[in-house]
Amino acid sequence: MKISRRNFLKGSATTLFLAGFNFPVLASTGKKKNLVIIMLRGGMDGLCAVPIIGDKNFEKRRKDLILDKTIKLNSDFALHPKLKNFHNLWQNNLGAIVHATNIPYTKRSHFDGQNLMETGGHIPYSIKTGWLGRGMKLAELKGDGLALALPMPLLLRGIPSNDNFYPSKKRLPRTELLQLLKSIYADKSEHELANMMEIIANRSMMNNGGTSMSRKNSSLALKAGLELKKINGPRVAVFEVDGFDTHAAQGGVNGSHSDSLIEMDSIFKSLEKGLGSEIENTLVLTLTEFGRTIEQNGGRGTEHGYGSAIFMAGGLLKKSQVYSDWPGLKKKELFEGRDLNSTIDARSVYASAMSTVFDIEFKRLQKEVFWGDKLVNLSDKLFKS
Amino acid sequence: MKNFYRKVAFGLGPDDNAPSDPLKWASNQLNEIPEYSWKGKILPEKELRGYYREWVYGDRKVLRKKFKNDKDGYKREKNKLRHETGQKFWWNLELCIRHSEAIKSEYPVLAKLWYFWGNHFAISEKDFLAQYTTGAYQREIIRANMNQNFEKMAQEATKGWSMIHHLDNEQNIGPKSQSAKWAREKGKKRGVNENHARELLELHTVSPNCGYSQEDVIQMAYIMSGWRPEWGKKRLETGDVHFDPDAHQPGSKIVLGKKYKSGRKGLSNAITDLVNHPSCREFIAMKLCRYLITDNPTKEMMEPIIKAWEKSDGFLPEVHKAAIEVAFNYSDKYNKFQNPENWLLQMSKMSDVDLIPTPKLMDLYALGQKPTNGQRSSEHLLRELGHHPYLAKQPNGWSDISDDWMSPELLIRRLVYAKEAYYRKSGKSQTPEFYEEMIQKNYDNPNEILQILNQHKELVHKHVILFNLPETLKS
Repeated sequence: MKISRRNFLKGSATTLFLAGFNFPVLASTGKKKNLVIIMLRGGMDGLCAVPIIGDKNFEKRRKDLILDKTIKLNSDFALHPKLKNFHNLWQNNLGAIVHATNIPYTKRSHFDGQNLMETGGHIPYSIKTGWLGRGMKLAELKGDGLALALPMPLLLRGIPSNDNFYPSKKRLPRTELLQLLKSIYADKSEHELANMMEIIANRSMMNNGGTSMSRKNSSLALKAGLELKKINGPRVAVFEVDGFDTHAAQGGVNGSHSDSLIEMDSIFKSLEKGLGSEIENTLVLTLTEFGRTIEQNGGRGTEHGYGSAIFMAGGLLKKSQVYSDWPGLKKKELFEGRDLNSTIDARSVYASAMSTVFDIEFKRLQKEVFWGDKLVNLSDKLFKS
Repeated sequence: MKNFYRKVAFGLGPDDNAPSDPLKWASNQLNEIPEYSWKGKILPEKELRGYYREWVYGDRKVLRKKFKNDKDGYKREKNKLRHETGQKFWWNLELCIRHSEAIKSEYPVLAKLWYFWGNHFAISEKDFLAQYTTGAYQREIIRANMNQNFEKMAQEATKGWSMIHHLDNEQNIGPKSQSAKWAREKGKKRGVNENHARELLELHTVSPNCGYSQEDVIQMAYIMSGWRPEWGKKRLETGDVHFDPDAHQPGSKIVLGKKYKSGRKGLSNAITDLVNHPSCREFIAMKLCRYLITDNPTKEMMEPIIKAWEKSDGFLPEVHKAAIEVAFNYSDKYNKFQNPENWLLQMSKMSDVDLIPTPKLMDLYALGQKPTNGQRSSEHLLRELGHHPYLAKQPNGWSDISDDWMSPELLIRRLVYAKEAYYRKSGKSQTPEFYEEMIQKNYDNPNEILQILNQHKELVHKHVILFNLPETLKS
């Protein structure tokens, strides 16, 4: 019912009219579409994940970090060999990459950068809501967010009643007890608590008495996929992957950066599995605070940089492609002489994705979520309409 | 009215008698800063910062180089270094000290306000501050100043190592300073970093309600430029904070229309003016009401606190007493949703849960050891509840707004850990009589509550229900 109500509210005059006849509203406004954001914390190295092919500058500057056996994506770019699941998606036109992109933040602090990647703002801490939460608010998607984390991520703030899932290590009390609390909350007009308890009671039944589930991202993603698949399930999900801050032993194929990339890759796989055919109506995008330096450091790691890449997956992608306005890696082409430059404001990609998934005009998102900043509508280039 | 004991403290424990004058009971706890009730070891911030130094130096300067080709070796040695510097132990010890003040001391009201100020001048999750120094900072700079003027707390928090490092003021270099010139000669750019200056205005003193401009923030940053840890090759960023004139922006600055001369004294003078600005007392009065009474404080609530501030020149014991009195006067009308940590402490205190590891257990720890699960229980519990006080995500600290604590997973944790806590109670408190007495002492509607609980036979279920009733979740 929640969904019909929402579509009713934002629907056109025709929908309004039809809704009166109790039509299944989704049928009239199109499919349920899902947006998943995977936050990659620590600064994902776009050039490790999606290296450029045959660039002498690159090979010279990080000779100990060059990967063997990369997977060739096109004549210019390759894929990290451990990203097997993403490669499968790519081969089925369900995977794409935006390269040399980042949020407009150039100061290289994780702390500030992660704040800005979530708020979408320019000044760290000045904005208290997330761009995704604000976008959902504009789309009237109350109660449609799912965080696979315990504290609600800042990214989702801005719209109330989001759900979260991060299994407790202990068993839930028995169902009668939950039902009793629910009825007490209802009697005392504690509606919000009653709603929460409803969700919890249902969840406890689904989990066969609440035996503890794994907190691994691959398990969470399977669960999330199954939820997103449901017609009245959430429409937005948010994941977190840590560990991209590899100042040392970043290594090659088996290095520490690979471990975090593999975790990201496992999310793609489980989401696909959980979503089944609904992957067709889903868009998955990664988000990071910055890329890493071209040059390797003394510890065979990399330092904080600027431009990175966005991984994208799902059936709402136009096609498999590496979308980029490649800035080059010669010294003078680098940002401050050291980092891959960012030629695409990553927020253009996110605003375009929200426009596609939430069916909201790009300009409205640009104006109301990103304060009218100069963003480019990439919907036609990247996504199916 | 009985929710007052939970609103301003953590309820009445089994050994507490209901005070004949609750307001006096609460106010009397606010005049002095008593000794800690924790009887185990307590380490100075400076010593803990030393362990932090060993950690950053060892990891950044030694291990990263040594194990550049060996991911597993690097991980292994890094773990060893964690234990050699007590990384997983110190914050658990700090939590013992912190929680003892709520549960075991004679000053729980002071403890509840201590948590408020620790969160007001929050050190959020950055680097490994939480694991080494945040707890000590909250003792030595926050709690130690709770019987002083607000100004003293603000001065010390602002110039404290933890805050300076947390908000990047070491990177705040006057663009026209000597240091910036030297950097330019080497082809490097150095300039202002506004972080700390902005938070000083926005979060710590006058708040955006006072209407400062971006230019005020920049001017404030100029005033603060040069306040940084003394750099050393081995100390890295962990030296004591000093004023480095070479990094200070020359020339006078203007913040909120007032002019400040160049130099060391600028910051102290600016803080004096900020804390005396009417917006500062209004902001703090609002936050105190929001913490203790309701998400949406009214002008009438804030007024007595502002008056007490004006009369006493921001003397915190007077400000606190005024806030407590307002909380008392509104206790029948408003219930405040309690954050997870405060909820846990209430449950532990009222129902006699053995929450805090003993000093004996904690003092068994020696550097180099991996702390035991028992020694780490506080950290685990708070993380599971979604509210480790030293791990706020942002410099504005943990939220005091109910909505931010309403999520299915967060409520599941309260159900689950209420049950866990029951099994940490002594046998003598696992009786129906114990619960009856506790409920009579702490709730205004004991009969209604007992009737609800009587629908369940097993005491553990009664316990879980009681601590998830609206009357408990909101005090």
